[in-house]
Amino acid sequence: MKFHFSEEEQEIISMVEDYAIKEVGPRAQEIDEEERFPIEAREGLAEMGMMGVYFPEEYGGAGMSYLTYIGVAEKLAEYCATTSIMMMASESLCAWPIFQYGTEEQKQKFLAPLCSGEKLGAFALTEPSAGTDAAMQKTVAADKGDHWLINGSKIFITNAQYADIFVFFAMTDKEKGTKGISAFIVEKGTPGFEVSGHEKKMGIRGSSTSELIFNDCKIPKENLLGELGKGFKIAMTTLDGGRVGVAAQAVGIAQGAINDALAYVKERVQFGKPIWKFQNTQFQLADMQAKVDAARLLLYRAAQAKQDGEPYSHLAAMAKLVCAETASDVTRRCVQLAGGYGYSRDYPFERHMRDAKITEIYEGTSEVQRMVISGWMGNK
Amino acid sequence: MEILVCIKQVPDDSVNIKMNPATNAPDLDIATPIVNAFDTYALEMATRLKEAIGDSTITVVSVGPDKAKDAIKTCLAVGASKGYVVKADATDTISTADALAKAVAKIEEAEGVKFDIIFCGKESTDCASGQVGTMLAEDLDVPVVTNLVDIEKIDAGISAKQETEEGYNIIEVAMPCVVTVTKPEYEPRYPTIKSKMAARKIPIGELEIGDVVAPAVTVVANAEPPKKAAGVKINEETLEESMAMALGMMRDAKVL
Repeated sequence: MKFHFSEEEQEIISMVEDYAIKEVGPRAQEIDEEERFPIEAREGLAEMGMMGVYFPEEYGGAGMSYLTYIGVAEKLAEYCATTSIMMMASESLCAWPIFQYGTEEQKQKFLAPLCSGEKLGAFALTEPSAGTDAAMQKTVAADKGDHWLINGSKIFITNAQYADIFVFFAMTDKEKGTKGISAFIVEKGTPGFEVSGHEKKMGIRGSSTSELIFNDCKIPKENLLGELGKGFKIAMTTLDGGRVGVAAQAVGIAQGAINDALAYVKERVQFGKPIWKFQNTQFQLADMQAKVDAARLLLYRAAQAKQDGEPYSHLAAMAKLVCAETASDVTRRCVQLAGGYGYSRDYPFERHMRDAKITEIYEGTSEVQRMVISGWMGNK
Repeated sequence: MEILVCIKQVPDDSVNIKMNPATNAPDLDIATPIVNAFDTYALEMATRLKEAIGDSTITVVSVGPDKAKDAIKTCLAVGASKGYVVKADATDTISTADALAKAVAKIEEAEGVKFDIIFCGKESTDCASGQVGTMLAEDLDVPVVTNLVDIEKIDAGISAKQETEEGYNIIEVAMPCVVTVTKPEYEPRYPTIKSKMAARKIPIGELEIGDVVAPAVTVVANAEPPKKAAGVKINEETLEESMAMALGMMRDAKVL
């Protein structure tokens, strides 16, 4: 077993860290405070080739390993959780299903500009009454012979206001339940398709989260993604990958909080010495780092399995469950270590804590991860 | 056009360096080696010039130890396409300039080219003597323009925008020449995954140049800068009273 990145992978991760230190970290507080989409990083990461890290070069990707992508996502989240999910919602949730299930024409038309970063992607499954119970899709796609007619709405869609290409799901045959759900691609600006509002959130506040409204929206027949009736499977396999990404984001947030806390406790003097000199501080941070490293190993195990083409749904669920809960625990403890300053919005600790919480919720709540893990255990 | 960019690997200057009491020298182990900031500006300016005129090659050279190859590799991902590290016993500006001049001749011979412009950063962020570029021009017997913030190719050679304390000079100079670069209005570009991967495949040449002129500077001792005293806070009720207090103190200290 190898527990390290190759030299090549490490070079790319270090490269993105250098960028994150100079360009992403310094804007993280402002992006959070003003609920502003990280437009500079969206452009910068595109120029660097980070919007298509693990896709083949023939589709404009960088042709790197999946592990590299996970390392990049983790590093970005260490400095700004919002920036990290902006990249991943496009890459894991929109580019990947098109790469995996799309026709050659769809790959040329949609995947290539996503990989180059010319266009930004989004994924739309959740509806007001279809959250964890994702099979309860109310959005309908009617076959009108030469086009699909879409009606319905989606909520909590990441990147929505800035995305150009959306992978979304709709009922094509209500009678068939989950086998009546199909996946489609819709482009921004399509008549009858509207992106509405901005969800005010607890954390990742710079991330664009909006509602999608389809009102007699006509989309071309060739925008069906994958086979008719296979949408639910496409959604679930896409989310398996997305969960590895969210686990990476969680580890990054937790590590970022520890790094900030370590710097803080070495400077903060109480009772005549830096609080780092107190054993409680040392033990707290030691526990946190050990937990984060343990979570990180679950993350890398899941990423490695995905990269190797092995079954990994349960591994992704375990990684996301543990990484997300670790991030929430660690960031909360970092707030406590910094005391009043930890609670102040002038310091990054409370932001890390707010950002961490979403990793327990999106792309399947922690409860969903437990369902996946126990389902796998029951079937063994 | 053939362009050479001379770079130096320096300790990361964003790290607070302290003296090591055991060696009585600055403890540089805590600072990651990076490319000198002014050299990154020089490379960016060279790369923009190359993009503007096309059909040019940028070579980077560094006098330094084996690990200076890391710095060269960094440059190969952001514009340069060839790189050389020069092994020489050069510890001060005069010996470094001599080593570079000899390296220029060696590279020109090896590649079968003549360099039209040699870019240097105006100074290094570690020693900050700001002399190597000018000395190199002297050794090569070519003109030099210092403190550039912009460069343009013209028929007669180049037009250089030089920053001065009062403003700018526009200087036209024939090639070959040496230019030294200060902070321009733009930032150096970031590498891309593709350029980074391509850079990994470029072999970095090693140059043995034999003896160089003996260093003229010997380090006698290292000393930490004195710590600043806390100072005096003046916070009288009115601005006038504060001013009067400050002037009084300066008079008492006999600085006025």
